[in-house]
Amino acid sequence: MRGGLLAAALGVALSAAPAAAQGSAPALRAHRVSVSGGLTWTGGYDVGDAAAVLRGNGVGATPPSFTLLQADSRIGPAAGGDVRIGFALSPSLTIESGFGYSRPGLTTRVSADPEAAPITLDPERLSQFLVEAGIVWQVPGPVVAGRLRPFVSAGGGYLRQLYSERTLVETGRVFHAGGGMRYWLRGGDGVRRSLGLRGELRVLVRSGGVEFADRARAAPVAAVHLFAEL
Amino acid sequence: MTRAVVALVIATLTLAQPTPALAYLKFGFRIADRTIDVKWPNGAVPYFVNDRDIPGVSANAFRAAVARAAATWEAVPGTTLHFEFQGATSAPPGGLDGRNTLGFLDRPDLDRVLGSTSLLVDSATGTLVEADIFFNTRFQWSAGDPGTAGLVDLESVVLHELGHLVGLGHSAIGETEQTASGGRRVLGSGAVMFPIALTSGSVADRVLQRDDVAGVLDLYGTDDGRRETGGIKGRVTLGGRGVFGAHVVAFNLATGSLVGGFTLGEDGGFVLAGLEPGPHVIRVEPLDDADVESFLSGPVEVDFRVGYASTLVVAPRGGTSGDVVVTVEPK
Repeated sequence: MRGGLLAAALGVALSAAPAAAQGSAPALRAHRVSVSGGLTWTGGYDVGDAAAVLRGNGVGATPPSFTLLQADSRIGPAAGGDVRIGFALSPSLTIESGFGYSRPGLTTRVSADPEAAPITLDPERLSQFLVEAGIVWQVPGPVVAGRLRPFVSAGGGYLRQLYSERTLVETGRVFHAGGGMRYWLRGGDGVRRSLGLRGELRVLVRSGGVEFADRARAAPVAAVHLFAEL
Repeated sequence: MTRAVVALVIATLTLAQPTPALAYLKFGFRIADRTIDVKWPNGAVPYFVNDRDIPGVSANAFRAAVARAAATWEAVPGTTLHFEFQGATSAPPGGLDGRNTLGFLDRPDLDRVLGSTSLLVDSATGTLVEADIFFNTRFQWSAGDPGTAGLVDLESVVLHELGHLVGLGHSAIGETEQTASGGRRVLGSGAVMFPIALTSGSVADRVLQRDDVAGVLDLYGTDDGRRETGGIKGRVTLGGRGVFGAHVVAFNLATGSLVGGFTLGEDGGFVLAGLEPGPHVIRVEPLDDADVESFLSGPVEVDFRVGYASTLVVAPRGGTSGDVVVTVEPK
């Protein structure tokens, strides 16, 4: 499925005609809806260290503790897919919302057990859903010649992560900022419908979700999309 | 009504008693082919307190320590458990008088027993009908705050014995080391219901740990309380067969809490209830710190190494996990 989508995108790219006349920057048409969909890759990030601590044996209410084991957990990198729908407020400014899905693995390493060697547990496969909204601003001026145009983006949304048996849900918030390039395969001239490719790099900051130390975590996200104006 | 006295299996010990360490455990009573929980009907526990003064602890101080410990158990949210003070009594604990009595006894012969709880169970229903607790005057006690080095903290021991009185057994969440005298010294404890007391002067056992909370929730949890907790079930196997008597500990990664249980069936099955929802590391260890035969009947398997479930196990809110199989290796 993913391979088919990519192949289709590349096929369109190879057969596309020049999108815009030399010297005019391609852009989305104002007050038009666009959709995009593609693949994402999200980098891994730590989700906290936890120590199994026993109360030590000493005089008073808070004697030194005794550590039974230490567990360090990390959510690994994962590929996924997402779709976005946007509305162009102007040729350079679009508001959009999106939905993403991926299956990252939660890996835990257990150590410091006085009676056992360190062990890394098999990954717990999460189902992760992201619902986001944000803005995309196409940088004005011929920064990149031809059909390639840079943009910056920012937004936020809702994170929902389910453990593998789907018996427990963790939710949180996400915020992102980043940028990338749009490459017009067709349109972008203010007359025809746009069709193109979009590559983007983001920093995604998560608050909540599967997290064992009550901290916000940042991870890189790369995305490649096919976009089309409706 | 048919009644039977359940064996006195409970004692809080000082530093040197090789007593078996068991996980958070409910007392069970066998009726026909079923084992049912031993507990107080409706969670109501009436009690009397003996009015004897002993050196260092007045009757009033004793009664206050008992009240504080009872309040600590009652404060566990989501349970029906409540204690009802009936008054002071001159009757010592231990008599079959239909009263639950707590008091001091002179037991110099029990040189390692701080306190003990006896239970009378209705063998037709499994409900508790009477329970007494004695504290041994052989030891020097303190009811003060904070603890005093060299004196046993009364409130801590009362809290432990009240745990037995409401139907809990010992917890195995703790680590000990052998002493030169052949006894055991606690290195760390994760439950008030751990069978070996902390050193004299410690008051750390005035605070319930998650293992204690899980136990009382299991016995007296309200529907709301049970909906807010989860369970994990599974089996422990060694060479393809079930392991009897293995200690299973669930470590919650999000909260850091530890709750223990152990395998009781021939198939190595275990169930841990009253867990805070979330992913857990499951650790399995042999009960090799103490004389397990004095507590568990049956061939307890201890000839295996500490092992872990191969994945995290999620305790769902208001439910129980799927079956977890933990395979351990021989020593």
